[in-house]
Amino acid sequence: MDFAWSEQQRELLDAVGRFASKQLDYDVIANDRDAVFNHDAWKKCGEFGIHGLPVPAEYGGLGMDPLTTVAALERLGYACKDNGLLFSINAHMWTAIIPVLSNGTEAQKKKYLPGLCNGTLIGGNAMSEPNSGSDAFSLSTTAVKKGSTYILNGSKIFVTNGPIADLLVVFVTMDKARGADGLCAFLVEKDSPGLDVSKKIEKMGVRTSPMAEVFFTDCAVPEENLLGKEGAGSFMFTKSMTWERGCILASAVGSMQRLLETSIRYAKERRQGGQSIGKFQRVADKIVNMKLRVQSARHMLYHCAWLRGQREPVYMEAAMAKLHISDCWVKCCEDAIQIRGGYGFMVEYEVERELRDAIGSKLYSGTSEIQRSIIASWLGL
Amino acid sequence: MTQGQSVEKILVPFKSVPDPYAGAAASTSKSVINPFDEIAIEEALQIRERGEATEIVGVTIGAPAVDEQIRAALAMGIDRAVRIDDARALDPYAVARILRALVEKESPQVVIMGKQAVDDDSNQVGQMLAGLLGWPQATFVSKIEFLENKTRARCTRETDGGLEIVAINLPAIITTDLRLNEPRYVSLPGLMKARRKPIETLTCEQLGVTVRPMTTTLSTSSPTRRAAGTRVGSVEELMAKLKQEAKVL
Repeated sequence: MDFAWSEQQRELLDAVGRFASKQLDYDVIANDRDAVFNHDAWKKCGEFGIHGLPVPAEYGGLGMDPLTTVAALERLGYACKDNGLLFSINAHMWTAIIPVLSNGTEAQKKKYLPGLCNGTLIGGNAMSEPNSGSDAFSLSTTAVKKGSTYILNGSKIFVTNGPIADLLVVFVTMDKARGADGLCAFLVEKDSPGLDVSKKIEKMGVRTSPMAEVFFTDCAVPEENLLGKEGAGSFMFTKSMTWERGCILASAVGSMQRLLETSIRYAKERRQGGQSIGKFQRVADKIVNMKLRVQSARHMLYHCAWLRGQREPVYMEAAMAKLHISDCWVKCCEDAIQIRGGYGFMVEYEVERELRDAIGSKLYSGTSEIQRSIIASWLGL
Repeated sequence: MTQGQSVEKILVPFKSVPDPYAGAAASTSKSVINPFDEIAIEEALQIRERGEATEIVGVTIGAPAVDEQIRAALAMGIDRAVRIDDARALDPYAVARILRALVEKESPQVVIMGKQAVDDDSNQVGQMLAGLLGWPQATFVSKIEFLENKTRARCTRETDGGLEIVAINLPAIITTDLRLNEPRYVSLPGLMKARRKPIETLTCEQLGVTVRPMTTTLSTSSPTRRAAGTRVGSVEELMAKLKQEAKVL
């Protein structure tokens, strides 16, 4: 077993670290308060090559293997405190780019991937509905074929990047009676007639990542924008969800590493009772726990990505990584606040925001309860 | 040169230096391109992007370890690079003589380089190179414009008294000041492309240069540690200390 990076991987990861620390280390407090998306940072990430990391060069990407990709996103999360931006990037990569790359026709890939890779196009995904969340395949937005177009009707909720997306991957049913076998997906462009996007939804965390409701009223989508085959929707969704689960929290591992380092620094500098608070076992224990969580989270992230690179199935590993990393992230944030005492509760200290940002990770891409169900079913239960 | 022709070749010598932004606490000393040279590279790239130059060749002197900084320069966008394989600590005159040999081999119309390296602050190589070649020079430049079909350049120099604008005939040496531009960051596509760009390795022997040091470093030492400061309780106390202890008032 070899845990070393190759020289080329190290060079790439160093470049990501340098880029992120110089270009993305901006003040997030005001943007979080006002729920502002940083378009400039998005554009820089696109030009730098982040969005296209796992996409082959022929479609405008870098053709990186999954392990290098998640390690790069981890570096991004370490240097960039804007978890909302990172969430938008992850949604864009795993729920828009990967479905197009995995299921798109050559024409669709040529048309959309270069723009999605360099960030000039923003992608989003519309799956959840008011009445279908964890029970995803019970969705009720419909598509009916009419000549050379499909007519979409229904509504979607929690659409990440919805207010800013140029392209949405939309899951619909063509035959509700067939359940999961009746699903299919479309690539819907932002100006499609009959497509309405709500104002952005206010959220507890990742506030800098805009989210919306999306409504389809006799929305006509040309047949060449059908993604994959009719009825293949649930298969495509499961496949892209597995990518998403295994990768979406790579930047969270970087965030945890940063929280660990800033907490160590704080525990060394803050003095109470005549000594650094890090000398108190109850504080040191919290930091040791943070270290254990970062390390175990990183190993699960890397192992899942490595397996995928070996073209092994990762359904269970992705669910385990998602479950474990989100759990660790929230606990690390809680500890980071507790170590700082009252200061940790203050906005200026920037750890309360991390906690608000982290909590969503136990909900999106399948709740922690759903991840446990997946793991249990793979264990034959 | 005829109307509309661009400068055919710009040579950008650059030096690998310890990362000046790494901070004193950094446990490992990482090397980077000397920041002033990075500005020179950026300027050459902008000149090429304006269609005023065709090719940018980078050159550095060092052991194979400096290939990392060469790849960074290639990733920024220079076309090709030459490494003079010499691991010795060379003084400015030796560097200038090696560069002269390379200039004679490559025949660039312009050499753009940092005004000084941030590790030794010598600020001599550009001037010595101009002297050795008998070329005009413009140093501490904060703006470059080409004139008269690229036969001359107008350079704005930053001097202690303000700005000085000079016109120089090409070929010439231009050394860059801090305010010339903001160097671009290395992008990942740039990094991937850089892996396919050629790095030529030459030795001093191949260039027909024999260099021997004219200066010897006798010793180096860290600055003496400053004593810790004290906190004063009031303005009155501060004034008293400034008068009686520091004796500056």
